Amino acid sequence: MAVAPTRLQVLALYKQFIKNSKQFNNYNFREYFLRRSRESFRANVALQKPEEVARAFADAKEELGVLKRQAIISQMYTFDKLVVEPLDSQKHTPSPTGV
Amino acid sequence: MLRSALARCSARPSAAAARALTARRAPISAVSALSARFYSPPSNLDKSAITGRVIDVLKTFNKGSEVAADKVSAASSFQKDLGLDSLDIVEFIVAVEQEFSIEIPDKVADDLKTIGQTVEYIKNETDAS
Repeated sequence: MAVAPTRLQVLALYKQFIKNSKQFNNYNFREYFLRRSRESFRANVALQKPEEVARAFADAKEELGVLKRQAIISQMYTFDKLVVEPLDSQKHTPSPTGV
Repeated sequence: MLRSALARCSARPSAAAARALTARRAPISAVSALSARFYSPPSNLDKSAITGRVIDVLKTFNKGSEVAADKVSAASSFQKDLGLDSLDIVEFIVAVEQEFSIEIPDKVADDLKTIGQTVEYIKNETDAS
């Protein structure tokens, strides 16, 4: 009944997970969701049967919905940066030593 | 990204406005003044700068520490030389998108196999910064 998703579809879904996880304002949540996205996709890397892949894909899609909602909620609050976070996480300058 | 989006949105309404104006009084100078928009010039990132930043991104993203530093060059393939799998490459692409403030479509991203190809794509992307 369920059709197994293509490789591109799975990768696109993974990209959505990573992108949305990075939206969290809070360091701990952000790192947790990144870790969780990576682990859940890696855990299913070896799935072969089309119906299993389709089920995992459908589950992941639902979780992506949760992730998106929570990321937006997280953006409604401000959190102090932790000491482990770089102050300017965007746009790092190339290292002076060159390539 | 913003520039191309703006150009897309504004193309039709401004043409309509220009037509309305010419129909009324035909003041050519006013029309051209109206339609003049001041955008920043397309970014002219230099290739070596892009390569440097891409390699820096490659070293700092999640799996970056596991990448063998001596194997990193413009010709190195993500999969063969750097040992990244498709999920790692997706993460790397997201990091590159963030670094250069661009959006790389999934289909294009799937065809980027080496650092050189990625640099070439960013170079052709006028919105990259």
